[in-house]
Amino acid sequence: MNLFRSEEHVERWLGRTGLEAGATITAGRLCELAHAWWSDRLAPSWRPRSREASQAILERLGLTGPFWQLAEE
Amino acid sequence: MDEAELRIRNHIYRRFVELGRAPRFAELSAELPGVEFEPALRRLHEFHAVVLEDDRRELRMANPFSAVPTHHRVEAGGRSWFANCAWDAFGIPAALHVDGHISSECLDCGETIEIDVRGGQAVPDEHLFHVAVPAAHWWDDIVFT
Repeated sequence: MNLFRSEEHVERWLGRTGLEAGATITAGRLCELAHAWWSDRLAPSWRPRSREASQAILERLGLTGPFWQLAEE
Repeated sequence: MDEAELRIRNHIYRRFVELGRAPRFAELSAELPGVEFEPALRRLHEFHAVVLEDDRRELRMANPFSAVPTHHRVEAGGRSWFANCAWDAFGIPAALHVDGHISSECLDCGETIEIDVRGGQAVPDEHLFHVAVPAAHWWDDIVFT
């Protein structure tokens, strides 16, 4: 889960490592995702989030399809 | 995860924020007198509420915070922390509900990437984030992920 300067840099890194391409989103979208995902983390009332609730966060940001399907609990 | 375990979990996060690093087991022992915190930490690890080191009795992660240095450094609210990954780097200002600054690097070329988080938005926002591991396997090896 890393940052790259551009798509060209992602592709060059994938070619060098031999890893299959995963998913790429902009830093802007990642920031939105992080705020939806982590904003409750320091609340004293924090409780573990269900898989369904986490999946719903991904879906709200358009992160759908098999790659973004979380593991069954 | 029971209420006692959640209290220990909340204590760890509070100390992580205060210290700018992970509380060590020896510190937790002193700060939580009479509390059997190690079995609780094992349970919290099983629930992915914290991540323990494989080879020693210390914390590795309390996501989004990292207990070990990484190439994702975050400044927020006048303090700084290491994040586990780029996602977590954005997660630190989000968790603290403040603006922040992320210093990371392009994993391909190593060039520094500096991004501000202002009002919940990334500035600039055009750098790319790549995740190689499908979501169903993120916790198979969370350190690699």
